[in-house]
Amino acid sequence: MTGQVSGAEPLGHDKPAIARRASFWWLLDVAGAALFAAGLALLVAGWGNAQSVYAGAGAIVLAGLLRAAVQAKALDVGMAAAVAEKAQLRAARLPVLFGTAFSRGRMAGEDAARAVDTIEAIEGLGARYRPLSRAARVAPLLVAGLVALASPVAAGIMLVTLLPFGLGMALAGTAARVSADRQLAAIGRLNGLFLDRLRALPEVRSFGAEDRVGRQLAMASDEVSQRTIALFRVAFVSGGILEFLAALSVALVAVYCGFSLLGELPFPPPEALGLAAAFFALAMAPEFYLPMRRLAAAYHDRQTGEAAMLALSDELPPLPAPLPPAPFAGLQLQAAEIAYENGVSVGPVSLVVPERGLVVIHGPTGSGKSSLLAAVAGLRPLAGGALLWEAGAPAPAAWAGQRPLVLAGTIARNIALGRADATPAEIAAAAEAAGLAPLLASRPGGLEAMLDADGSGLSGGERRRLGIARALASARPLLLLDEPTADLDRATAAALIATLQALARTHALLVASHDPALIAAADAEVAL
Amino acid sequence: MTARAQPLTTSAQPGAAALDALLAAGRQRRAAGLARASLAAALAAVAGVGLLGLAGWFLAGAALAGAAGGAALAAYNYLLPSAGIRLAAVVRTGGRYLERLWSHAAALATLAELRPALFARAAARDPRRLAAMATAEGLARLTGDVDALEDAIIRAPAGPAALAGAVLAVLLALCAGWQPALVMALGLAALAPAARQIARRHIDTPAAAAREAAGALKAATTAVLAAGAEIAVYGLAEAVSADIAALAAAMDRERSRMARGDARLAGLLVAAGPALAALVALAAAAAGASAALAALAALAAAGAAEAQGSWHRARAREAAVASAHARLAALAEVPEPEANPDPLPQAAGESLLVGGHALAPGGRLALIGRSGSGKTRLLETLAGWRADAPETLLVAGEPAISTGFAALAARFALAPQAPALLAGTIADNLRLAAPGLADEALWAALEVACLADDVRALPAGLAEWLGEGAGQFSGGQRKRLALARALLAGRPWLLLDEPTEGLDAATEAQLVARLGHWLDATGTGLILASHRAAPLALAPARLHLG
Repeated sequence: MTGQVSGAEPLGHDKPAIARRASFWWLLDVAGAALFAAGLALLVAGWGNAQSVYAGAGAIVLAGLLRAAVQAKALDVGMAAAVAEKAQLRAARLPVLFGTAFSRGRMAGEDAARAVDTIEAIEGLGARYRPLSRAARVAPLLVAGLVALASPVAAGIMLVTLLPFGLGMALAGTAARVSADRQLAAIGRLNGLFLDRLRALPEVRSFGAEDRVGRQLAMASDEVSQRTIALFRVAFVSGGILEFLAALSVALVAVYCGFSLLGELPFPPPEALGLAAAFFALAMAPEFYLPMRRLAAAYHDRQTGEAAMLALSDELPPLPAPLPPAPFAGLQLQAAEIAYENGVSVGPVSLVVPERGLVVIHGPTGSGKSSLLAAVAGLRPLAGGALLWEAGAPAPAAWAGQRPLVLAGTIARNIALGRADATPAEIAAAAEAAGLAPLLASRPGGLEAMLDADGSGLSGGERRRLGIARALASARPLLLLDEPTADLDRATAAALIATLQALARTHALLVASHDPALIAAADAEVAL
Repeated sequence: MTARAQPLTTSAQPGAAALDALLAAGRQRRAAGLARASLAAALAAVAGVGLLGLAGWFLAGAALAGAAGGAALAAYNYLLPSAGIRLAAVVRTGGRYLERLWSHAAALATLAELRPALFARAAARDPRRLAAMATAEGLARLTGDVDALEDAIIRAPAGPAALAGAVLAVLLALCAGWQPALVMALGLAALAPAARQIARRHIDTPAAAAREAAGALKAATTAVLAAGAEIAVYGLAEAVSADIAALAAAMDRERSRMARGDARLAGLLVAAGPALAALVALAAAAAGASAALAALAALAAAGAAEAQGSWHRARAREAAVASAHARLAALAEVPEPEANPDPLPQAAGESLLVGGHALAPGGRLALIGRSGSGKTRLLETLAGWRADAPETLLVAGEPAISTGFAALAARFALAPQAPALLAGTIADNLRLAAPGLADEALWAALEVACLADDVRALPAGLAEWLGEGAGQFSGGQRKRLALARALLAGRPWLLLDEPTEGLDAATEAQLVARLGHWLDATGTGLILASHRAAPLALAPARLHLG
């Protein structure tokens, strides 16, 4: 296992050994084909002799079963290889994508979601195209070699058809590939246009523009379909060449064998050909181009898979190391400024967070409250000003957002996400202090009650408290809370504010909020 | 006729009839193309069966004649079969090429009509009932669903091809006797239910489970990404990745099961050819046929079984196509008539009542309240995008929520908080507002929205292409473009949702001043939602929400 995901490695090489095993099964299929051909030869050449007819028929049926088993195995092993490769890519990429999603901003979050899809897109490449491609390099020669045992000339005929095949593919194949890729891009653009206009449908309708936009879509659709057909005429030529030479090699072998058996060859017979040998060669003839035809059928897997591999070949940033533990004795922001990518900036803001107490940053939505919290947590750089730590070094902070993370597992596991080595007693204390007691009482098993991945069954207030319990269990003295009371009803919010006031006696709380009740409860407030 | 088995007309849920009608209209117009494709496919299948059968017969016959020599050899007509073999090779190639070309042409043409037709259906519905479909995930799935239908059309000729190949194979077997013909017919007929059984048992169930698991994976990924700060702060990237990877592994297990089902079907189709060839040969032996005719029948059996393969593989996808069909059908659902079909033809000179504030034509109102208090909800309810604002909203005496969408659209131009821009040029986006707008009008609107300088600075000006979601425009620029577009619509009321968010103070002041002049000059009314002081100066009357 190489675990390679970087672009330095050429596509499609040096994949796990399991992928080679799938190719092996595809090669073994040639043995089944040979058994079929031998059975047919025995049956026809021994026609009239019941023993050889039955033996031949038996061999043919056996060959069918063998090929079925071998091909099913090849598909199965190929899929296992693809699944292994996907798992490897996920293990290498997901931690970095999730770990850096926040600091890279919202668009990066969408990128990460897309990256998960992209990993899925390599399945066909790994399961089908690659094993078939490796097998297609050897299998035709194997077929020709087996045919040569019966009729070297028939084998020669097959090999000779490779010449025009290679030539035709070189001429038409490149053009066909270019036009197939272009066609894929055109269809992609059309799909994009369609989705884009559907997404903007409320606007389109409000302006009464649905007819105009509909006509424009119809025109674009029509144009793409016309152009695509023109491209297909070329793109299908390479498939046509393959089909033609596959059919031609069968026809040439049949005609050669027939005339040879008749003794009517227009040249001195190069070999003494019997009926059995002739039938063996004939039955093997379609097998010569079969690996290439299978490969052509998996072309779409290759296109999507290689596009995905290219998208996954970028160098991943390293996963940032968590801050080492450090004592906390208060912090100061001095004329801090935060810049966004679109040129808008926040600040300058100055504030002091003492060792204990509740400090609220308030201001309208989009004024940069959350960004300031992120800067204190070390997730965002400051564009100006300074962040000073009274104890000298940045202390790792705990964080509870509007929609805290819930993973499948017990409530205790979810609280302990803040610190893996939290003891059961510490977890219980954190749950108690965060006001989770009513939730624990209502669930059989209390802390051992199971939550599912989307935290269904938790109310908004309970979910917030779970986030706060996690922050407390982390045993970090500085708590950063992003809109802890947003969207909660008044009574729930009041209870949560009381909890925060109690916590502020032992912790430093820096809270972003525009809730007047929370602002009123603060020891200090900063307006943006 | 095997073409009847096309899975495109199977669904029975509401809207299915509408989609079927759309597809049927397209298909009828393309019937000639599909018929040609089916003919080409049938010819290719016939040629494929014929090539193998003829070659077998020719070889066995040639061996006999060659061995007998003399008169038998002289009497053996080798020109006809050898020419037939070459002809079959050419016909098979040409048939396959034309089948692919014509079936793709039919699919493309049908879908070129389906996409705009689906759009028209969706557009004919009241947006207040559109929300579920318009989610990003629903839209993303749409592409895959349309692809599934396209695939089904492309594969449609496989049916006629399988039938033609089977008919020829039975006829060729008949040359060797009725027994091999019977065996051939029964064997090929038995293949269909066997393949169907495998698809139903071993492909449909894991395919549905895999789709479900993929949905769960996507939902969990989205939820986890929303908690990005916690992941970074507590160093949870590995733990979260392990959970997501476990969900992905569960999906992979279903996909592997599905692949094993596919492999099982492939195995059946692979084993069927030789088995049928052997049985047919034994039946030919029992019938006392010659070696040449037995070879003809046996190889035709192998060829016919191969021709059946692509049809059975296409049928194995029926369940997936049917579920794509069902989702598209929901989109194509026939629009219900609007509850109150435009009782208000007169759009100008009317007054509004908004949460207790009476507004005469040209009146102005500012909505105040913390975020989450329902300012956007109120504006979008007036615009007819939704119908859940609790405030009393009367448009010329009629409640907005029971007013037809068209009537609301004729009165209000909304510049929403997160405007959707089209992938297209800046001019395309502005001209969405009204047909036949001159460049001068566009520039004038851009001036008012304080965006004219930004557009002039772009290399292509008005013709500058904005990507999907207008990527290279900042949030503030997008909002100002949407504002300019709303101005161009020329409606009696302008609805602005946080129009100056993300602007610096100087630009904001300039925008407010120009907008004030424009409102005075045109007599347009204004309802404005904002947190910021500057734009609130435009509207002295305040409505406090929340």
